[in-house]
Amino acid sequence: MKNESHGMRWIFAGLNLIFLCCAGGLFFLLIFESYPIFKLHGFDFWLGQDWWVGETYGALPMLYGSTLVTALACFLVLPLALAVAIFTSEFLTSTRRRYMKAVLELLAGVPGIVYGLLGVSFLSLWIKDVFGLLDGNTLATASCLLAIMILPTVLTLSEDAMRAVPAEYRDNALALGLSKWQTATAVVVPQALPGIMGAVLLGIGRAMGETIAVMLVVGSLDRIPDPWFNIFASAQTIPSKLGREAAEAIGEETHWSALMALGLALFTMVLLINFIGNRFLKRRNFS
Amino acid sequence: MFRVLLFFLVAIGVIPFSVNADHSPKIEIVGSTTVLPIASRAAERFGKLERFERFKSSHRLRILVNAGGSGVGIHSVAKGRSDIGMVSREISTSERKRFEGSHLKVHTVGVDAVACVISSEIYDAGVHDLTRHEIRDIYLGKIRNWEEVGGPDRNIVVVDKERHRGTRHVFMNFIFGNPTAKTPGTILVTGSNNEEQTKIAQSDSAIGMLSYAWINDEVRAIGIRENKSIVNPTRETIRKGDYPIVRNLSFITAGEPSGEVKVFLEYLKSPEGQKVVEESGYIPFT
Repeated sequence: MKNESHGMRWIFAGLNLIFLCCAGGLFFLLIFESYPIFKLHGFDFWLGQDWWVGETYGALPMLYGSTLVTALACFLVLPLALAVAIFTSEFLTSTRRRYMKAVLELLAGVPGIVYGLLGVSFLSLWIKDVFGLLDGNTLATASCLLAIMILPTVLTLSEDAMRAVPAEYRDNALALGLSKWQTATAVVVPQALPGIMGAVLLGIGRAMGETIAVMLVVGSLDRIPDPWFNIFASAQTIPSKLGREAAEAIGEETHWSALMALGLALFTMVLLINFIGNRFLKRRNFS
Repeated sequence: MFRVLLFFLVAIGVIPFSVNADHSPKIEIVGSTTVLPIASRAAERFGKLERFERFKSSHRLRILVNAGGSGVGIHSVAKGRSDIGMVSREISTSERKRFEGSHLKVHTVGVDAVACVISSEIYDAGVHDLTRHEIRDIYLGKIRNWEEVGGPDRNIVVVDKERHRGTRHVFMNFIFGNPTAKTPGTILVTGSNNEEQTKIAQSDSAIGMLSYAWINDEVRAIGIRENKSIVNPTRETIRKGDYPIVRNLSFITAGEPSGEVKVFLEYLKSPEGQKVVEESGYIPFT
């Protein structure tokens, strides 16, 4: 029996090592594969605004698009997620809360393509009509779609964070004469803040990497909108660019390497955000 | 627990071998989404034909058809990853040079036209044809309103395609004389014919480029006007060679085809095969 658990330990350690090697290997592979484009363009690759396959490669429109779409999605999702999370955690009875959570977690698992198809057939047309635009495939459409996509994730995780605030805190606050609403906003939310931050950052991580849903509604135009804050213009994000061009670039060294460099940028951005998000989540568990 | 885990590890190790153990003959076809309907339809018919029974008797012949675009088709045939490639454009000089060693051979089976298409709302409002110069100015962003070309007072949604698409190569080659022309007037970029068709149908003031087989009531083809004569893309004008934006739809092989691949390509060029081309919405080559 002792022998067996010993063997198990080695197998699990081995599997763990394989996983670590995969993650580290992927990162180094991306650096290695993107090297040719940096040799060709140097740092200008990040600042260039033109992407003409076979001539010049500039990543700025994609970096800009990804950042703006994600930031805007975050801005849209935050107030709604907070409001619903407070209501679910503080005002619902535990049975109803369980139903609510089950539905949210179901929604969080819906694949991107489903949202993408809904986006193409409804959201882009609505946005076009509501704002009186020339066309509905814009940065704003992609942001709305992403906000809808990450809402369940952000909601359920921040609700968990609020739920995890000890019951004594609430009892004390109520005993001091605070109303239920005051307890929620002045006691529970500040205590749960690191957890909520973590939830939002994990949501951003998903939004940033979303390919197909964004690809279908963002317009895929490799250009920074004019003026730059015009969210009702077409643009391009990193995953959408990769999705559209990866198959065609196989075997063409410079093109492929430019795409790999974009992948590296995305990988680093998501890694950083997830890392920070996990730090926030962890900190509240120890407090 | 240990045994269960061991079983799974062994099972995972065995799976790749068991898949490879199937030796029945197969043809792998990869490439252009424009040619794909011809290939998949032909593959289905070919499997049912009596006179190719000899392939079915001992081993069943399998034909696998995959999309990916013309460039992918050329590349995977040259590298030996598939038997037949599908292309909806010419093999470029750089590709010819890069894959010189694989002796790419082109087997043309059909002809397709690339039409300049507009939203049905604009067509109904009276825009039925444009000159090459007008289309160029629209794509360059010099003409921004339909009013300037005889339509209603509405801004133009200029729909472009991904730069590597065969359809774009052919269209831009005609309009600009350069298959990779830069188009600053673009408002939207789309990929497949399917996607572009949807986006133009959804808009009420769009212009774009589409393969002849994808035109419908919501996405209307317009004529190309030159010195007062107008050529509309129809079966007749394409076959006669009057319509200017045409391309060959071809299959490619590395070197001379042999065995099952040869028989399949011969089938495509036969009257039955050409009927498949016509049913897919294209013009037979012969």
